[in-house]
Amino acid sequence: MNKINWKREARLLPGYLIVGVWVVFTAVMLFWIVGASFSTSREIFSGQIFKFESGFHFENYITAWNAQNVSVFFANSLLYSVISCVGVLAISAPAAYVLSRWEFTGGKTLRIGLVTAMSVPVIMVIMPIYSLSVQWGIKGRVLLVILYILLRVPYTTIYLLDFFSTLSRTYEEAAYLDGCSGPKTFLKIMLPLVQPAIITVTIFNFMSVWNEFFMALIFTSSESMAPVGVGLLNIINSMKYTGQYGGMFAAVIIVFLPTFLLYIFMSEKIIAGVTGGGVKG
Amino acid sequence: MRKNKAMIFWFCLPALLSLVLMFVYPVCRTVLMSFFQVESVTATMADWSFYGLGNYTKIFGSASFMISMRNMLLIWFVGGIFTLAIAMLMAVTVTSGIRGKKFFRAAIYMPNIISAVALATMWIQYIFNYDYGLLNEIVQFLGGDKVKWLGTDLKFWAMTGSFIFGSVGYYMLIYISGIEGIPQDLYEAATIDGASKVHQFTHITLPLLKGVMKTSVTFWSINATTFYLWSKMFSPIDTESSTIVPVIYLYDIVFGGKGITKRDAGAGAAVGVVLTLIIIVVYLITERLFRGSDLEY
Repeated sequence: MNKINWKREARLLPGYLIVGVWVVFTAVMLFWIVGASFSTSREIFSGQIFKFESGFHFENYITAWNAQNVSVFFANSLLYSVISCVGVLAISAPAAYVLSRWEFTGGKTLRIGLVTAMSVPVIMVIMPIYSLSVQWGIKGRVLLVILYILLRVPYTTIYLLDFFSTLSRTYEEAAYLDGCSGPKTFLKIMLPLVQPAIITVTIFNFMSVWNEFFMALIFTSSESMAPVGVGLLNIINSMKYTGQYGGMFAAVIIVFLPTFLLYIFMSEKIIAGVTGGGVKG
Repeated sequence: MRKNKAMIFWFCLPALLSLVLMFVYPVCRTVLMSFFQVESVTATMADWSFYGLGNYTKIFGSASFMISMRNMLLIWFVGGIFTLAIAMLMAVTVTSGIRGKKFFRAAIYMPNIISAVALATMWIQYIFNYDYGLLNEIVQFLGGDKVKWLGTDLKFWAMTGSFIFGSVGYYMLIYISGIEGIPQDLYEAATIDGASKVHQFTHITLPLLKGVMKTSVTFWSINATTFYLWSKMFSPIDTESSTIVPVIYLYDIVFGGKGITKRDAGAGAAVGVVLTLIIIVVYLITERLFRGSDLEY
């Protein structure tokens, strides 16, 4: 362990203060919400939440989970996120592989198209998509899953493409000499080699779909298919009538937990991924 | 390596179809639609009637659209200055050699990974709450009177402030990656020459960060023009002029909202085109302003 150089630390004190205040503020906010999620509405309003005089109100979570339908929203979000993560890989990984390996007619155009699509605002696409979905009679959960998959294709393809291009071609040459077909080489040899990139991109896709709000608001016609974001908004809007503040804060925690836990365990990977892909100076 | 044409074709086809279906076709149709009078978003092209620039004159003549544009520009400009400045401050601090760098970096970025609906709820229901909120506790502790943070006067700034809090971490990461790309010996040489930390920041760090600044301004512009969720959270049921932004306006006229008697998908498309043009113009301007920033060390 290094000896602490107090002179040096003292010079850095303003720095510690700056980031310290910010982080303490964040922590206070989170702790308070957790405290409130175990309290009654009366305790929240009288500022008594951390005394727990009337005990821990775990039933807030049960109320939120059952009566306020958080279980439904949670299951929906899980369903949307998991299926779209798998679906988008099935579309993006093969394309990323061949785009990184061969020059061919239209390859460059496709690549530019994918990069451009990453910064197309969603508002430019929702109206035609809405009318197409009505015309083709696709709706509900199926529609949302399809949209989430298609929405994540450009980012996923470009991210994987960068990784495939770092792999040596000797793998394929060896496989070819052994009589392994192109698609088989891709599945059995190349895909396992980019596994770390697949994990990172899947974490990002998962969080992005889990937190998606705009499309969910437009394309979910009933509460039974709403994901967590839209569901939480509904809970808050009905707060006026229910007065269940503890239940609402419990719902906030339930919505917040999955991505937060993922982050606790994978923050290094996630942070490296944020600036690793598209962001270059 | 042998080029397997069939494999290339079949491997690219799904991605190509996704791109066309989700982006190329919809964007083209939206642009086209903005020049036609279209009432319902589901109307077939046969029901469209050519309108020239009519949709554009309509939205620029609409009081609520102009208010929404003003709000958006304020978020873009004021919010942008604060977000990017705080992000830069945090990035410089985190990389200044403090202990627990990884922890601070992860903690400051954290609000970006949780559901924005949950984050906005924390701010609205706790920080800004009139009865038990953190800000009013602080105000009272300092001897002041409780403030109605979510009243009509302050609501916009409450919304912008909490949005800034939620955004800082992302831009901080961009700046950190830029700062860590600057060779350390530049700072060592400057220290030997007797340059202060502030001097080093203004003469080494800032000029060498031009590239990442360009990226961050472009990303911020996209975020600010498509600002939506926080506005919806701060005015969840009815659209209010204090928090209205163009995307809320678009949503209301296309899908229906309070005070909308006749839906107008054509005008909605025009709003989308205007916002996209703003993003493109800002992008081109920043490209020009930060030209010559591709550095090699």
